[in-house]
Amino acid sequence: MSTIDDVGLAMYHQMQRSQAAEQWVLRLIDGGEALVLYHSARGQEAVAAGSIGPLERSDYMFYVHRGVGQLLAKGVDPVELFGDILANTAGSTGGLGAGIVHVVDPSVGVLGQSGTVGGTFPLAAGAGLSAKYRESGQVVLCMFGDGTANRGTFHEAANAAGVWKLPVVWLCENNGYAVSIPQSASTPVADLATRAAGYGMPGVIVDGQDAIAVYEAVDAAVQRARRGDGPTFIEAKTVRFRGHFEGDPQHYRGGRPESVERDPIVILGKRLIEAGLATEQTLQEMAQQADDEMRAAVEEARLAPMPERTRLFEGILA
Amino acid sequence: MSERELTFTQAINEALAEELERDPDVFLMGEDVGGFGGVFGVTQGLQDKFGERRVFDTPLSETLIVGAAVGAAITGLRPVAELQYSDFVGIAMDEMYNKAAKWKFMHGGRLDVPMVVRAPEGAKGGAGAEHSQSPGGLFQSAFGMYVLMPTNPADAKGLLKSAIRDDNPVLFLEHKALYSKKGLVPDGEHLVPIGVAATPRQGSDVTVVAWGSLVPRSLQAAEVLAEEGIDVEVIDPRGIRPLDLPTILASVERTGRLVLVHEAPGAGGPGAEVAAVVAEQMLDVLEAPILRVTTPDTYFPQSVHLERMMLPGASDVADAVRRVMA
Repeated sequence: MSTIDDVGLAMYHQMQRSQAAEQWVLRLIDGGEALVLYHSARGQEAVAAGSIGPLERSDYMFYVHRGVGQLLAKGVDPVELFGDILANTAGSTGGLGAGIVHVVDPSVGVLGQSGTVGGTFPLAAGAGLSAKYRESGQVVLCMFGDGTANRGTFHEAANAAGVWKLPVVWLCENNGYAVSIPQSASTPVADLATRAAGYGMPGVIVDGQDAIAVYEAVDAAVQRARRGDGPTFIEAKTVRFRGHFEGDPQHYRGGRPESVERDPIVILGKRLIEAGLATEQTLQEMAQQADDEMRAAVEEARLAPMPERTRLFEGILA
Repeated sequence: MSERELTFTQAINEALAEELERDPDVFLMGEDVGGFGGVFGVTQGLQDKFGERRVFDTPLSETLIVGAAVGAAITGLRPVAELQYSDFVGIAMDEMYNKAAKWKFMHGGRLDVPMVVRAPEGAKGGAGAEHSQSPGGLFQSAFGMYVLMPTNPADAKGLLKSAIRDDNPVLFLEHKALYSKKGLVPDGEHLVPIGVAATPRQGSDVTVVAWGSLVPRSLQAAEVLAEEGIDVEVIDPRGIRPLDLPTILASVERTGRLVLVHEAPGAGGPGAEVAAVVAEQMLDVLEAPILRVTTPDTYFPQSVHLERMMLPGASDVADAVRRVMA
């Protein structure tokens, strides 16, 4: 069975959920209900859907701060997600207002996220070490951007993962910009995946607008990791349709990205229709279904109260 | 209960061996901790006994060592990581201060971080400005982390065993000048509770709160002062966080005089916070200004000759006590 037959519709569903959730986040921001800095995932949905698809529920994920698609695909409850956006007690952090930076759900392998980008590299290596030590068969997916790839923490974590053959998949979402800095101004190589050779792991480049291609690359890396053959570096070349954050004027790239026509949701939708797996109508129904789900989650999350001041002092120590 | 005489190093080694034996989720990692046994010999023989899965060397990568310990801790293990020198907390500061200490809080309290970072601290033998420091004070505001500083073999063993069993991250600072010191350690299961100060000498005239290697020297000073008719109480907080303020404040309440003694510099050192709290809460009981005995505001040189001039001795502690008694 081909990948598209197997998981095409499921990935399309996750991409629509990602987009629908994002639209609700933007509505909450525009309406003044959510006071969060949000980093849009528009244009990069295929990376999230394609990379989470091959994971088991018990596998670990360290996500990126762009969008919410990875969190939803891994199994985070959208009510908890919107609770974190609204900073109320429905949130996964119980009212700390994690936005999309510290959303957590250990029961689905979401171990949180570092506010300092690149801070999760050593933690991902440690989670991989833990999985190997416990012989649990779990794999760690560590996502990061092209800007974050330049943190020194990556070197230490990737080296250790390479020498210890840790079950880690390093997934670089290369959208070409570190906030405002184009990759060419910050990085001496065009292909970050070439760095993998220095850590004794395969480096794979994949079209990040193509969910099927991302899925197949990550699936191979996950299988390799589960076999005990060690880590893989995957570079998904993608496009950030919107600004780094909502409100970013984007002067540095003339206000709009170069290739918004390569919309990953449209690309997968066309392929599903060509494969006879969907029609325009069923795709529209899936989009509507995703929006309905997120609307219901927002409405439920809105019911939760804001935390009391005492919340500030909870959960510091065990 | 019977006791045996052990060195500080042997006591730590025993604690590690006992906890490795007791709990299969405990493992040791660090630079040269395996077959080599640690640059100070603390992990000697442990890899032979427990194998390379439980006791292993890491690459020379301190951010990895601390960060991977966090990653292993939040996924069900109890790592005991070694930083070869405590000064290297600077290399792994984001991993210590922002990850180990905050991960639980930032993520809604839903992930515990049961890990220990062992790190040799203090000046000994001219190791210079980056291998001699006592950095515990940097973590005064690491609210999600403990900072422990044992000062004798019994506490080294009992505190380390408690630290390994605790569900919070612990920075465990071992003073290099104490490694060879001997002391009696109780046989059998020996646990020292975290956050309870010791009072190795009771007295009624002056409260001396001392940390790390300065506890033995403060006790020496107290002997000398006793001959002069000055009755000194020496309190060993056994660390910086959590701080047993009730014990310290109750002592100052009785004596009315406070001297703070540590090898870290005064600014930002462990004594600074105690001085501030005493000034805030009981200025009215003080019969003399609070004094601190610390290293001066400069850096350790490589020169052993100059290093000796940096370190406070028993006579410096005695002088400070005489001043608050004057």
